[in-house]
Amino acid sequence: MNIIVLVKPVPDPKAPVRLKPDGTIDREKVPLTVNLYDKHAVEAAVRIKEKYGGKVIAISMAPPHAIEVLREALAMGVDDAILLSDKRLAGSDTLATSYALSQAIRKIGDFDLILCGMESTDGNTGHVGPEVAEFLGIPHVTYVERIEIRDRHVIVKRLVEGGYEILKVKLPALLTITNTANEPRIPTIRDVLKARRKTIIVWNVDDIGVDPNKVGLRGSPTRILKIEKVILKRKGKIFTEPDVDKVIESFLAELKKDGVSLVR
Amino acid sequence: MPLDFNFTEEQEHLRRTIREFAEKFITPRVFEIEQKERIPNEIIREMARLGLFGVSIPEEYGGLYLDPITAGVIVEELARADLSCSTPVLYLVHTAWSYIAQKYGRKEFKEEILPLAAEGKLWIGIATTEPGAGSDLRSITTIAKKEGDEYVVNGEKAFISGVREALEQFEMGGGHLTLVKTAPEKGHRGMTMMFIPIRSPGIAIKYEKGWGRKGVSWASYKLDNVRVPEKYVIGNEGRGFYIAMEGFDYARALIATVCCAVAKRALELTMDYIKQRKVFGIPLAKFEGIQFPLAEHWARIEAAQLLAYKALWALKMEREGKMSRFEVSKIAAEAKMIAVLTAIRAIDDAMRWFGAFGYTEECPLTLAIKAVKSYEWAEGATDIMKIIVAREILGREFLPYR
Repeated sequence: MNIIVLVKPVPDPKAPVRLKPDGTIDREKVPLTVNLYDKHAVEAAVRIKEKYGGKVIAISMAPPHAIEVLREALAMGVDDAILLSDKRLAGSDTLATSYALSQAIRKIGDFDLILCGMESTDGNTGHVGPEVAEFLGIPHVTYVERIEIRDRHVIVKRLVEGGYEILKVKLPALLTITNTANEPRIPTIRDVLKARRKTIIVWNVDDIGVDPNKVGLRGSPTRILKIEKVILKRKGKIFTEPDVDKVIESFLAELKKDGVSLVR
Repeated sequence: MPLDFNFTEEQEHLRRTIREFAEKFITPRVFEIEQKERIPNEIIREMARLGLFGVSIPEEYGGLYLDPITAGVIVEELARADLSCSTPVLYLVHTAWSYIAQKYGRKEFKEEILPLAAEGKLWIGIATTEPGAGSDLRSITTIAKKEGDEYVVNGEKAFISGVREALEQFEMGGGHLTLVKTAPEKGHRGMTMMFIPIRSPGIAIKYEKGWGRKGVSWASYKLDNVRVPEKYVIGNEGRGFYIAMEGFDYARALIATVCCAVAKRALELTMDYIKQRKVFGIPLAKFEGIQFPLAEHWARIEAAQLLAYKALWALKMEREGKMSRFEVSKIAAEAKMIAVLTAIRAIDDAMRWFGAFGYTEECPLTLAIKAVKSYEWAEGATDIMKIIVAREILGREFLPYR
C-alpha cells in the first residue's frame, strides 16, 4: 500500500499574523506549521502503513523555508518527503496548485491512495484534494473519518450533515480526512532526530513537467479582489427586570428577534 | 564566528515537539498534580515514550545521549508548561544523575540499570543531604563498610526527591546515587558514591511535606544495614564528593533554565491579564508603575536565561575537553544563583499585579513562586553558589571553610 499525503504548510495559528497591504497573509515572514487537518491525514496514512505495510510519501508545494514542515511529517512516520518549490508557482490558486500537485504525483507514479486534510486552516476552501483527484482521473471521497482497506478497495465512513455514509471506493483513490478521524501522534525524540537526518527531495516546475502558464498567478483564474475583516461585536445587553422569569422571557424574545429558532 | 545565539534546527524541532506534548498532557493537569501531590502515571508513561528519560544515556544502552543544551531546551519547555515544576524536576534530576551514572558507573551496573533507565522503567535520583549535613557535605555520617563483594550502609538521608516515584511509579523501581563515607577519617576524600535502589531491604521512609512542587515526592529515610552490591559503586572509592559536585553542576544549569522559563511564562500570563484588566478606565498595562518593573524583570530574565544556557554550553565544552571542571562549576553556580533570585522577584511582583486574584490558589503564579523558592536551597543553596563564585574569582586561598 503506497500512500501519498498532501501536506500544506500554513501560518502557525499561535504566532501573530502579518497581512500584506492587499489583505493577504505575508507568508514569507510568518512561522509555518503543518496544517492541522493534514496532521490527521498524515496520522491516517502512517496507521495504514503500520497495518498493511507499504510506504508513505508526503508532498508540499511551498516556499523553500517550508521544508521544516515536511520534517514534522517525517518525524510522524512518513518515509519520504518532496517539496515542490519554485518562484513560478507563487500565487497559485487552488486550481493551479492542484494541477502542480497532480503532476508531481504522476511523476511519483506508483501509489494506491492519496490522503489530505479536509481543508486548510488558512484558506479553508477544501478544494485542493478533490481537484487533484479530478486531474488524476481517480475517485475521491471528502470528509472521511474511518478507512478500511479490502481487496483493492477502501471502505470509508464519510461524515455528512446529520449522519454519515459508508462508501466502497476502488483504488487508487483520494480521501480527505476529518479532524475527528484520529489523534495525531506526538513523535518521540528519536523520531525527530531520525527525521532530521533524512533528505527532502526538492522539485521545481521543470522537474514535474508542468506548463508554466498554468501555474502561479498567471495560471490562476481566481483573483482576490478584497479581503475584509469581519468584526463581530457583542451587544452586551443587560436585562434588569427584578423577576427571573421575566428576565428569561425577555431574553428569549430578544433571541427570537435575532432569528434564533427555539426548540423546546 | 564563534558566538552564536541560535539554536539548531534540530533543537527547534525538539522544542516544538516537547511543547506540543507538554501543552497537551501536562498544562491542563498542573493544579491536579499539585493538589494530588503526584504526577499521574499516564504523564510519566508518555514522558518515557517520548524518550525523556533517555536523554543522558548513551545509545548503546538504548538512550539518546543528547548534549546539555538540547537537554536544557527540553526542560525549558516542560517548565513553561508546568509552573509547579514537578515534571521538570522528575526529568532534570534523572537527566543530570543518569549522566553521572553512565559516566562513572561500572560496566555490569550500566548493562543492568541504564537500559531500564533509558526506557523510563527505572528512575535515578540523588541522595546527599542528611539531617546534619546539607551545604556542608563533608559532615555526612552515613557509612558504608565493605563485606565481601557488598557494602553495608548505615545512616540517614534527608529531603530526597523522587522517593515515592522510584518506589511505586516506575515499573522497575529506581534509586539514588547516594553519597556515603567509606573512609571517614579522610574527610571529603573518604566519600564514595553508590547507587542504592530505594526498594532495598533496610530502608525506612518518612515523607516530608513541601510548600510547593508537590507533584514530586520528598522524603527522608534511614538506611539500616542496607546491602549494596559492589558493582553499584559509581566511580572509585574516595571520589564521591567530586562526582557529586559534577552532577550538581549539570543539575544547577538545568535548574537555572527551569527558573527562567517559569518566570518568563509567569510574566506572559501576567501580561495577558494586565492588558485586559482596567483600573481608572485604562488597562493596567498602560501604567508605567507596572510597565517599568515589567520591562526590568523581562530583561533580567533574558539575561539570566543567557547565563543558564552559557552554563549548559560550558558543560558541553567540558564534555568536548575544552573547559575545566572549575570553570564549569563557576558558571553553573552563577547561573543558578542569578536565575533563582531573578525568578522569585519577577513572580513576586507579577503576583501583586494580579491584585487579590494573585493571592488565590487558582492563580498559577502561586504554584510558580512556591516552586522556584525551593531552589534557594535545593541542589546547592544560594550562599553556596556565592562561595563557589567567590572561590573562583578570589582564589582558593580565600575559601572561608576547608
